[in-house]
Amino acid sequence: MFKNYIISAIRNITKSPFYAFLNIAGLTIGMATFIFILIYVADEISYDKHNTNYSRIHRLESDFTIGSKHDKFAIVPIPMGPALQLEFPEIESIVRFRGIDNTLIIYNDKEYYEDNFYYTDSTIFDVFSCELLVGDLKNSLVEPNTAVLTQKIASKYFGKENAIGKVISTGSGRQYKVTAVIQNQPENSHLKYDALLSASTLAKEVGEEEFNSMEPNRFWNIGVYTYVMINKNSSIQSIHDKFPDFYDKYMKSLGDQFNASFELMTTPLSEIHLNSDLASDLPTGNKAYVYIFSIVAIFILLLAAINYMNMATAQSSNRSREVGMRKVMGAEKQQLIGQFLSESVLLAIIANLLALLVVYMFLPDFNGLTGKALSYSLILEPEFLGLIFAVSVFIGLVSGSYPSFYLSSFMPLNVLKGITTSSGKPNLLLRRGLVVIQFFIAIVMIIGTFVVSDQIDYLKSKDLGFEKENLIVMELQDSAFRSKVEVFKEALLQNPTIENVSNSTGVPGDVSWIQVMLVEQESEMKEFAIILAQCDYDFPSLLGLNFITGRDFDKKMGTDDTAAVIINETAARQFGWIDNPIGKKILYGMELDRSGGRSMKVIGMVEDFHFNSLHNKVEPIILFISQVPRFFVTARIKDGKKATALEHIEKCWHETGADRPFNYTMITELQEEMYEGEEKISTIFLIISVLTVFIALLGLFGLSSFTAEQRTKEIGIRKVNGATLFDILILLYKEFFWLILISFVLAVPIAYWRLSIWLETSFMYHTEIHWLSIMLAGISAMVIGLLTISFHVVKVASSDPVEAIKYE
Amino acid sequence: MIQTNELTRIFRAEEVETTALNKVNINIEQGEFVAIMGPSGCGKSTLLNILGLLDTPTNGVFNFFNENVAGYSERQRARLRKKNIGFVFQNFNLIDQFTVFENVELPLIYLGLSAKERKTRVEAALEKMQMTHRRKHYPSQLSGGQQQRVAIARAVVSDPKFILADEPTGNLDSAHGDEVMNLLGELNQAGTTIIMVTHSQRDAEYAQRVIMLFDGQVISEKLSSEKSN
Ligand SMILES: Nc1ncnc2c1ncn2[C@@H]1O[C@H](COP(=O)(O)OP(=O)(O)OP(=O)(O)O)[C@@H](O)[C@H]1O
Ligand SMILES: [Mg+2]
Repeated sequence: MFKNYIISAIRNITKSPFYAFLNIAGLTIGMATFIFILIYVADEISYDKHNTNYSRIHRLESDFTIGSKHDKFAIVPIPMGPALQLEFPEIESIVRFRGIDNTLIIYNDKEYYEDNFYYTDSTIFDVFSCELLVGDLKNSLVEPNTAVLTQKIASKYFGKENAIGKVISTGSGRQYKVTAVIQNQPENSHLKYDALLSASTLAKEVGEEEFNSMEPNRFWNIGVYTYVMINKNSSIQSIHDKFPDFYDKYMKSLGDQFNASFELMTTPLSEIHLNSDLASDLPTGNKAYVYIFSIVAIFILLLAAINYMNMATAQSSNRSREVGMRKVMGAEKQQLIGQFLSESVLLAIIANLLALLVVYMFLPDFNGLTGKALSYSLILEPEFLGLIFAVSVFIGLVSGSYPSFYLSSFMPLNVLKGITTSSGKPNLLLRRGLVVIQFFIAIVMIIGTFVVSDQIDYLKSKDLGFEKENLIVMELQDSAFRSKVEVFKEALLQNPTIENVSNSTGVPGDVSWIQVMLVEQESEMKEFAIILAQCDYDFPSLLGLNFITGRDFDKKMGTDDTAAVIINETAARQFGWIDNPIGKKILYGMELDRSGGRSMKVIGMVEDFHFNSLHNKVEPIILFISQVPRFFVTARIKDGKKATALEHIEKCWHETGADRPFNYTMITELQEEMYEGEEKISTIFLIISVLTVFIALLGLFGLSSFTAEQRTKEIGIRKVNGATLFDILILLYKEFFWLILISFVLAVPIAYWRLSIWLETSFMYHTEIHWLSIMLAGISAMVIGLLTISFHVVKVASSDPVEAIKYE
Repeated sequence: MIQTNELTRIFRAEEVETTALNKVNINIEQGEFVAIMGPSGCGKSTLLNILGLLDTPTNGVFNFFNENVAGYSERQRARLRKKNIGFVFQNFNLIDQFTVFENVELPLIYLGLSAKERKTRVEAALEKMQMTHRRKHYPSQLSGGQQQRVAIARAVVSDPKFILADEPTGNLDSAHGDEVMNLLGELNQAGTTIIMVTHSQRDAEYAQRVIMLFDGQVISEKLSSEKSN
């Protein structure tokens, strides 16, 4: 019996290969997109689960309240971990990580800037799972000046040579002996280290006692990523419950002086990637996208299933005689339903196999697009294949459901009478409904694509309150070089392509220094945690900040390098000075008893400028001149002269005495990096909408061909009775015009609602949803929809009426 | 074998009521060859459909092997149908996308026979209709007469108690029509009961008995002229 079903299915495919192709193509694209989204989502939720003990590992996080400022950090004070372990028997082990960014690492003639090297406690191997390649983990990272490298770093510096015992050094001269090489970190780790340096190195340098001190002041400095592994039978909650006592013991005395308080927060290891939204965090994923894409995946499958339903029912006239005869022969309704369901399941499985092939072919592109490094092995996992297979059977059943009930309810009597075209009214209504659903989904996706791209344009073109073009940033890591920064600046300015140079502790896109200061209030000085950038005289003019009131730093004033501060509008507003900020006092760098420090007066207030990404709102920031080590040198170069300028800068770099390789970024690049996530999403959105629209069009194309076939006779009669070609075109287009219009009207509110939520939750500063984008989405859907059906419309409309009538 | 009592079929379609069969009483015995005749629209096909368990009467008794099946459900009728009845239609109703062999095999599939058993039976049926050499062909590659022979092979392959034929020669020229009638005659000789609707006096002569319908009522029942004595 089954064999007969299959024969019947195959014969139907070969009888109308074109429709079978449309059907399978739609299902294949749908399934392939679904699989891609599935592996994306599976990867996103798999983060850090490769650690055997992941369910017992939690990251410690800080929630500081200082004055009125409330800040949450992904890092905690340095002694927090050890102190908690001392107090709470629930904690089995702790490990801390302190990253070093952009650090020069040297081995013989090999010199590279490294980003993902971390100082780490030797307990890391108790907490996290690492695969040892060579060496010994047991005593690794215990001794000062030792290192454990990942495979990638080991082969980068030592090639095929044995890395064990080799010594690498940093640009500042610290040396590390390699004691073990471990496997590279899996891509789905939120903390992707390339190498680990022993934390005891730091302890040795600052002094064991100082490093391990648990004095109160050590708890009020923000510091390191810390992970705790709790005992098998304990829960993290008990630590939270007992934390108030801990706070009283270790932190309260000093906190009260500051008018500050602290809450300990924790996040389970496996949830960090998608749930973290903290300052100082490593790059994390975005839960919203996981949700959106999951929904889109289901949408796409639905689209493909609808396509199948639509075409299978539209094709029913081809099958009615078969159905009728099977019934006459004694087939029961259930048997026929079974037959058509097995047919759709068979097709879905074929589509599924093709989809796997498509996924296999496009996986590298997918990786490029998403920035992931997913391998084929993931797709070939039996569980994964099992799931995909189950989904395809499910889709087969869903897509086959309506057609099979519809087809199996044909009355054999009709067939005996030779009535084979039996598309009744309700069926037509349903098919129209399905087209509306498809176009609804497609239009939502198109609007989404337009709005995401509008938002990206907005991010890129928004006035940031400073002139971001033509700014080159260099980082001076070498203290010898830093001491010669004035010489370097002078040398740079010798060339006419360099317009301005400044030296500062932060640049827009990279300002992360926050400190508690005393700020003048009505009757007294009060604590505020404020973002600051310390700089030289030229910084405000270099950035092109706009002064609302007051003046820029001025050498002639004589005291600006010790007593002047420039604030932004938000700072003035928050401190209650907006009407008259000039002359107000800020005390920086005071002792705990408020003595000492540097007292500064506000000399100018600038318009708010975006020193962070537009995801965040502008916070108070102050600028002042100081002599602390200032790592950044920023140069403004003449527009269009980048190449000459860079040549000159590099020459000066080496002549002034930097023995490190020349390294720079453009401020605009820093800006773009902030929106890389959105850029990727935008591309993915675009691709998915193109596919969605394509599937919907396949469906429309198929449907229109059947409508055309069915109406051939009607059109013929109309023509014989004097209808013009134009009348006929209107008649045929009208139906689809209305369907697409209805889809559009349904899609707009849903898209508007969902996208507003996305814009508002993801960005402090965002574009409006332009009506133009929405109209454009509707018009494009309409145009391509009507174009798609034109093929058949024109064919039918221009057919010879005599032929058409003879047809029956 | 088949016996009806006041069999009535009324079609209701939006306000219009058509009484297609009006209190029809007939009785058909095993081994008979009965022709049903009458003007167009008199209810011949309607009667045949009810006798073939494709349709149910609005009223009356329909005894099918001494069992009143008048109120049977679709499923019950399907089960009786596949075991007992073979059908032949004016327009052949072969499935275009199936080969001759597959078309003939179709009824056996729903009887749940093994592939081997099906093959022997189909071969035998095709042999009888002299269509063995066409078994791999598709209906569109055959002439009308050949198609009808395949349809008859399909009707007899399941070895039914009787065959219902609705104008089996209606779409054929007279030479092919005669051929088909001869085959039906032979089947009847071999013991199969045949009930046939026809407009043709010529075809009716193959039957032993002719039932005349007019406006849904039986107006006469007579033995066919040829076989009357
Ligand atoms: N499904 C139906 N719905 C409504 N009326 C029907 C239906 N089927 C048949 N009729 C009506 O019942 C009457 C008998 O129809 P039937 O098809 O049995 O006639 P017939 O004798 O077979 O005619 P012909 O020789 O043209 O085939 C006709 O008036 C017909 O219009
Ligand atoms: Mg008839």
